[in-house]
Amino acid sequence: MSLRASPQPVPTPDGGSDFAAALARCAAGDGAALRSLYDRLAPRMLGVALRLVRRRDLAEEVVHDTFLAIWEKAAGFDPARGRADTWMFAILRHRALNVLRGEARNDLVDDFEPLGLADDGPDAEAIVAALSEAGALRRCLERLDPVRRQAVVLAYTHGLSHGELAGRLGQPLGTVKSWIRRGLLVLRECLA
Amino acid sequence: MTSDLHDRLAAEHVLGLLEGAEQDLAEALLAEDPAFARLVEDWRGRLAELDATAAPEAPPPALWSRIEAGLEDRRPVETTPSPAAPRRPAERPSLWNCASFWRPLGLAAAAASLVLAVALGVTVERAGRAPALVTVMLSADNRPAAVVNTYPDGRTELVPLTQVPVPEGKSLQVWTLWDRERGPVSVGLLDALRSIELGLSSLPAPAVDQLFEITLEPEGGSPTGRPTGPILMKGTANRAL
Repeated sequence: MSLRASPQPVPTPDGGSDFAAALARCAAGDGAALRSLYDRLAPRMLGVALRLVRRRDLAEEVVHDTFLAIWEKAAGFDPARGRADTWMFAILRHRALNVLRGEARNDLVDDFEPLGLADDGPDAEAIVAALSEAGALRRCLERLDPVRRQAVVLAYTHGLSHGELAGRLGQPLGTVKSWIRRGLLVLRECLA
Repeated sequence: MTSDLHDRLAAEHVLGLLEGAEQDLAEALLAEDPAFARLVEDWRGRLAELDATAAPEAPPPALWSRIEAGLEDRRPVETTPSPAAPRRPAERPSLWNCASFWRPLGLAAAAASLVLAVALGVTVERAGRAPALVTVMLSADNRPAAVVNTYPDGRTELVPLTQVPVPEGKSLQVWTLWDRERGPVSVGLLDALRSIELGLSSLPAPAVDQLFEITLEPEGGSPTGRPTGPILMKGTANRAL
């Protein structure tokens, strides 16, 4: 897996309200607004989806479905309840996870090994290393034991289930579950 | 108590780790409970930076064309603001019929069970579809190659973790052994390693230390009813905590 040396910056609050304005225009039926969201977000979304579902065709399908969902549900976005980019990425992740957990499961396993997932340790560490050094998330993830950090990061970025994490980390399911729970508690406190 | 439980549910929902009843519960809460929706939003915000570590990929030009073509079939509709628990659109083109995407059916039931669970002080963990037994099958070089999950209702599924090359004219056969006198019993036959439900329903309920293994057999399965080919992976069942 190739990671960029410096990740895309997290959108600024300004970018967020910009996205919110575009969503409001989508809700009013303005296709150009959806296109502008697509131009700005589709490459990042495709990258996130590809890392989750691992197959290019499925990742493109996830992005396709995500933009149709954004279009259809734009009127339901409420800026008072959260950021527009977070809302759109939540749709993407939800769709990708459903692909992972459900309909395409059988196809996915065929492509599991060639993508370098067998060696997860360095991958999870590389993801953490790609986080901004100045960011709180990196500082807080680095406070976790390496195994807990790895479990949390792989669950989020690669969509691994508890069972898959147990298999990959060679640990009982209960151990992995408690690692994640403990890890999340530490993260919550650290990021508060 | 409840807020700790809700925070864990919110975090694991955002991580994508919830399954079954817990997943339904989280989606019901997300739709009904603004405080829970805030917890989810907080976790999304905390972890969003990880999404920025995925290398961007240029979409093919045809992707936008397909999206644009899809727009003609639908108009924005009023929905509730939660992306994870969407309402069913008034019109449902075929793409939107995918039950696993929308999961709308379990929401009312999950909301009802939440009320009961809280009223009775019952932890929702018990309602989760966590496996009772987990078997990690290791390959000959001791790498995790597949997982066998046995659920409390006896359903047992095989989930591969690696790719296994299957030569032309061969099949993979899954065996289980719980009684040396009876010997290994075939519980699945595959042309390629993939997720399947194993055929254990007519056998005694699996127990701790029960052996599972996969052998390479002639196409259509072992002619003798016992393993004849090399063992590709094996493992024994552990109780899930």
